[in-house]
Amino acid sequence: MRRIGFSTGAVAKGDFRRGLDALRQKHVTVVELSALRLIELEPLIRALPDLDLSSFEFVSVHAPSHLAYIDEAFVTNSLSVAIKLGIPVVVHPDVIFEENAWRWMGRLLLIENMDKRKAIGRTAQDLEVLFNKLPESGFCFDIGHARQVDPTMTEARSILQAFSGRLAQVHISEVNTNSRHDPLSIYAISAFRAVADLIPEGVPVVLETIIDEGQSDIQTEIQRAQSALQFTHAVLPSEPGVPAPRQG
Amino acid sequence: MPENSQNAAERWVDGLEKRLNANWAAIRKARVDTNLNRARLRKAFYGRIAPDTSLVVFGSIAREEMTSRSDGDWILFIDGQALPEHVDQEQAIAEELEKQGFPKPGKSGVFGRMIGSHNIVHEIGGEDDTNSNTTRRILLLLESLPIGNSEAYERVRRQILSRYLRDDRGLLKASGSIKVPRFLLNDLTRYWRTITVDFVYKQRAEAGLKWALRNAKLRMSRKLVFASGLLRCFFCQLDNDAASAREALSAPMHDVSKLLMYLEDQLRQTPLDLLARAASRPNIDKTTARKLFDSYDQFLAILDDQAKRTELENLREHDMAKSSVWEDIRSLSRDFHLGLIELFFGQDEEIRSLSMEYAVF
Repeated sequence: MRRIGFSTGAVAKGDFRRGLDALRQKHVTVVELSALRLIELEPLIRALPDLDLSSFEFVSVHAPSHLAYIDEAFVTNSLSVAIKLGIPVVVHPDVIFEENAWRWMGRLLLIENMDKRKAIGRTAQDLEVLFNKLPESGFCFDIGHARQVDPTMTEARSILQAFSGRLAQVHISEVNTNSRHDPLSIYAISAFRAVADLIPEGVPVVLETIIDEGQSDIQTEIQRAQSALQFTHAVLPSEPGVPAPRQG
Repeated sequence: MPENSQNAAERWVDGLEKRLNANWAAIRKARVDTNLNRARLRKAFYGRIAPDTSLVVFGSIAREEMTSRSDGDWILFIDGQALPEHVDQEQAIAEELEKQGFPKPGKSGVFGRMIGSHNIVHEIGGEDDTNSNTTRRILLLLESLPIGNSEAYERVRRQILSRYLRDDRGLLKASGSIKVPRFLLNDLTRYWRTITVDFVYKQRAEAGLKWALRNAKLRMSRKLVFASGLLRCFFCQLDNDAASAREALSAPMHDVSKLLMYLEDQLRQTPLDLLARAASRPNIDKTTARKLFDSYDQFLAILDDQAKRTELENLREHDMAKSSVWEDIRSLSRDFHLGLIELFFGQDEEIRSLSMEYAVF
């Protein structure tokens, strides 16, 4: 069985505490603390050292997805709290203005592949440029973004084959034409199976399907994600760049 | 063919020309003219192609064979939500291309308009795969060029290739070691046969108007595109660079992604480069290569000569016997045809065997 959890933002938008409570109640052991909007970052970081995350085997933080250049230093300084706690930080490459501001995060910085709205980070070729600039960093593979960019999943296979050694986390959801993260349809599940063999079983999987208005529920989406990624017999690789799951 | 195809490190035509000590000036001139026109179009449409759309041009500009009065076939390709402004974009493209001196597309309605991606990807075969749909799909693969934003174009072309490969049970499930994408090859062949039949249809429908020019193109550039399509399929089997792609097709993975990417690379090469690559194989006689490329070079020279082209355009059936230009076309197209027969059914054992197995029955 894969380790599959949720983003707090998908379960309870703008309220990570409520999101954590909901996930604990369902005995979910993988969580991504969402600070996708800049205003969410400060309260999350302030609470982080004292937050009870003991029931989770894997925890990561998602950095804000929209930044102005002048906010970059504030964001990276804030995220240092997470890094010091050994918590990986997922970042969209288009908010990295100065590589030096992020490079020190080393293997705990997880660069995510982008959807088709973004000009960078969408293909294996794009990502290679980024990883050349930040060679220590790990990789968060967003399977929904990859499918939106290339529905044949050819690019997804190229990405996974190129960066398997860096793969530390997977995002899963159905990304629609407006780039919103929807619950998984049977068509997305079928498409995702085309790359399941390239995702080692031990890599934590985070659902980003927005369910905070009753679109679906935690258990259903986890079952769907298990189904989407079921054809795999691989194990977690031991290559450098893969952060160990956070214990308690 | 992407915009940078002309910059590919290895140009097979150039290598062959050098090796045979030939002088294919018209081919070289056409390439230079094409690149100038491509640059002009890129500049004219810079920043004007909306997201999820691509302006795609077809024909000689995609093949790098532009001559003095080349056609201007195009479509506005849409792979996304229908938006009201698409019609504005369509009109703006038509106006700009006219301003740039490109002739209007023909009256058939196949080109010169916006086209959504769904039918092209989903309707392969069956009643809904109309003549227009087949034409757009095959030409999108074999002789097309996006101007400006190419994302919609590349996304859809990849989906088309994916369909040809994933739906080809023989390619994925057959135990044999020969890996030629037969579904794709059959559709390319179907298209070629269709245009040869439609040629006669147009001859009747248009009372012989432009018959000679259309016939010259059928004998030369249309036939070249078909031959290059066959070669693209054959190289999946013949090319050492495709070895890992062929292996990946086997059980248990039946992974088509590598072959798909290999084919995408093939499609970036012009038909002439593909033909030159095949003609450069060790077992192909120099005389065969000369037949192919000398004749094609002369064909382009005729099309680039305004007087000769005009004569071809205006030639009617009863005047043909008196036309020296038409006599030249007949002669060089015979050479080209013989060259193709020798290439596909002659000296090269591997190509001959694939041609016998796939190209006839």
